[in-house]
Amino acid sequence: MSDVTLAGVSRWYGNVVAVNDVSMTLGPGVTGLLGPNGAGKTTVLHMMAGFLAPSRGTVTIDGAPTWRNPSVYKGLGLVSEREAVHDFLTAREFLLVSARLHRLPDPEAAARRALELVEMTDAQDRRIGTYSKGMRQRTRVAGALVHDPQVLLLDEPFNGMDPRQRLHMMELLHRLGAAGRTILFSSHILEEVEQVSGTVQVIVAGRLAASGDYRAIRRLMSNRPHVFAIHSTDDRRLAVALMGQASVTGVEIDRAGLTVRAGDYGSFTRALPKIALAQGIRVRRLLPSDESLESVFSYLVEA
Amino acid sequence: MVPQTIAWITARGLFGRRRFLLLIPLPLLVVGLAILGRGFGVAPENWAQPVLVGLGLAVVLPVIALIVGTGVLGSEIDDGTIVHILTKPLPRWQIVLPKLVVATAVTTVTVSISLYVAGVLAHSVRLGLGLALAGLVGALVYSALFLAMSLLTRRPVLLGLVYVLVWEGLLGNFVSGTRVLSVQQYVLTIADKIAPTGLLQSKVSLPVAIIMSAIFTVGVTVLAIDRLRSFSVAGETS
Amino acid sequence: MSDAAGVIHDIGYQRYVGPRLGRGYVFKSLYVHGLRTAFGLGRSAKAKIFPWFVLGVVFLTGVILAAVKAQVPDAGVTYTAFVDMMAWLVVFFVAVVAPELVSRDLRAGVLPLYFSRPLRRSDYAYAKLVALATAVWLLLGGPQLVMFLVAAFSADTMKQFWTEVGDVGQGMLYAVLWAAVFAGIGLLVASLTGKRAFAAGGIVAVFLMTTPIVGVVSVMPSQTAQDLALLFSPASLVFGVGVWLFGSPDGNDSIGPFGPLYLAVTIGIVAGCVALLQARYRKVASS
Repeated sequence: MSDVTLAGVSRWYGNVVAVNDVSMTLGPGVTGLLGPNGAGKTTVLHMMAGFLAPSRGTVTIDGAPTWRNPSVYKGLGLVSEREAVHDFLTAREFLLVSARLHRLPDPEAAARRALELVEMTDAQDRRIGTYSKGMRQRTRVAGALVHDPQVLLLDEPFNGMDPRQRLHMMELLHRLGAAGRTILFSSHILEEVEQVSGTVQVIVAGRLAASGDYRAIRRLMSNRPHVFAIHSTDDRRLAVALMGQASVTGVEIDRAGLTVRAGDYGSFTRALPKIALAQGIRVRRLLPSDESLESVFSYLVEA
Repeated sequence: MVPQTIAWITARGLFGRRRFLLLIPLPLLVVGLAILGRGFGVAPENWAQPVLVGLGLAVVLPVIALIVGTGVLGSEIDDGTIVHILTKPLPRWQIVLPKLVVATAVTTVTVSISLYVAGVLAHSVRLGLGLALAGLVGALVYSALFLAMSLLTRRPVLLGLVYVLVWEGLLGNFVSGTRVLSVQQYVLTIADKIAPTGLLQSKVSLPVAIIMSAIFTVGVTVLAIDRLRSFSVAGETS
Repeated sequence: MSDAAGVIHDIGYQRYVGPRLGRGYVFKSLYVHGLRTAFGLGRSAKAKIFPWFVLGVVFLTGVILAAVKAQVPDAGVTYTAFVDMMAWLVVFFVAVVAPELVSRDLRAGVLPLYFSRPLRRSDYAYAKLVALATAVWLLLGGPQLVMFLVAAFSADTMKQFWTEVGDVGQGMLYAVLWAAVFAGIGLLVASLTGKRAFAAGGIVAVFLMTTPIVGVVSVMPSQTAQDLALLFSPASLVFGVGVWLFGSPDGNDSIGPFGPLYLAVTIGIVAGCVALLQARYRKVASS
């Protein structure tokens, strides 16, 4: 179990502030680092990986600083965004080199294990220069996993992967996270973060805008109305009854059903069953229609 | 195990790229001209200077050292594969020193053999050995210098060229003060003192040459190791 | 609700049907762009430093020599000798400018963009070559013009004036030879790599490596070898042609009866560079 801690971290280049007073602690499990392009995700990741010094604040892994501290790599693996690998090596040679540089007691076994983990055993003796994009990505992930690190950092790992490879990578990250490793991956694609992790750290314009479970984040933002899609046996009567509720701010009817906007999540969800019961209406379907990360994200960005 | 692995991957990287082919014609040219000169019975005093010094020590040695020295680390920095080497729990000197050894070895093998042959043809085996040994020392100092340059600037090849052509070439010939800081002069002196012939004209003394070579090598290598410790990758790269 | 009739305008993709300028315009545009790039015009200040520095040195030297000649007519340096003096500056100029012209395009991978337009590949090569040659010729010819003006204004008789005109004509022609050879070789070497530093190094290396060959051959015992020695380096090759056409500046260099051979080799090298450049751009990778 390892913890990655950022305490009051800022990073600026002259007049441009790339990361602005970010504090976060990552524990075991998978965390998504979410944010639009240019928000500072890569800067934060590089600082965590020891490739950039914070202008202010500290970045530590289990209390040890990451900057100018090569021993931190014993338990840290990084998959950077840039697709660079040694083209002239085969995957097996690359992993052997990585294992040897980590001073592992049995480099051959470690390399073999890493290859199996990313399903690259078939192509292991071909030069990396002949690989497809997804295969190169998987090779790099294997390289970051060869020493079985407790912390794994991935910068936009799903870039350029086809759906099947994405699924496989997501499942791999899930497994590793469930086994107690601390995994952080960055993305600007919301579906990816949604599907792999429930915990997010949202970075917008260098600042940490939100952190934690994204459903909980959504609930915290009570000044935006929650939107529900309801199907019932009598939509119009239900609509009329709901408009009388204090927590309801708007109701829309169309062929697809009822769309209700509620300002206060708690009181609405308590009131709805009571109203339906009183009116003798059966509610067939009740969907919160914007709990997706997409809406959280766009709300945060527009805020 | 670690130094051998670093050396192995560095050597593979050097020989796997096309630029390695550039290393071949230059030493052959030196040998070819020496054969020409000796074969036609021209007195060595006439052709030794331009071939051994003008071409061999002043051009072939630094240029090959430049290509190899900036290639061992600079090409990995350029294409981003350095990340894989740096995310390992290795003290940075364990990365720099094997690379320096590989660069020196490749440069020496390429240059010293041709210098030895040319020296033998020009004068004697002793001159050949002197040139070869001086070539080894020069390869070490140049390699350290250019390896450090690939960490200190974003355009190491350009700066290396400026150093060799302007500092050592132009100024070294005209401004005597700069000779003390010119690797070419150290190499010249070492070769001349090992095999005193009238053919090479060394302009700095042997103690100065040896001490300055040592200072240069150790100094820039320490600098390089420190810079590698603070190696930064900025924001998003594509 | 207004009842005025509404119209939806079709402002979708529209093909251009107006006049199109021809191949000559394309060539001229690329040529002018190349010439401007050579001197850093239209680019940042950093790109202007080196070309203008070289230009300044060459002009300054020309002005000083012209002034000296005006004061002491016999101690003057001829136009052709002036060009010879500037040899290494021209090499450095070409070594820096040629990569700016072609290596940058290679590095950025924009050649597929260029060639998917009505620009012929050979036109691309020729336009860049002519631009570089013009830049070198301007570098050498501009100071000569200044020297000529100074000499012309200090001439006492019309005969002197016409002599000056003849001399500067020779100098300009000599500069054309230099421009053709150096631009050809420089551009060819630069077109082989996308890294500007390597290209610059390669160009300088070609000139550096060939100089000792001249040195060695010129001390060969045979007179023929000594006459032919100047063939082996581009700078000395053009110098040899100059010696044959205009006479040797200090009367020492002789190329024997091989004058026409020198000219033929010069033309051959220029033609070879042009052909190789054309061949080099025939196949261009798309990535």
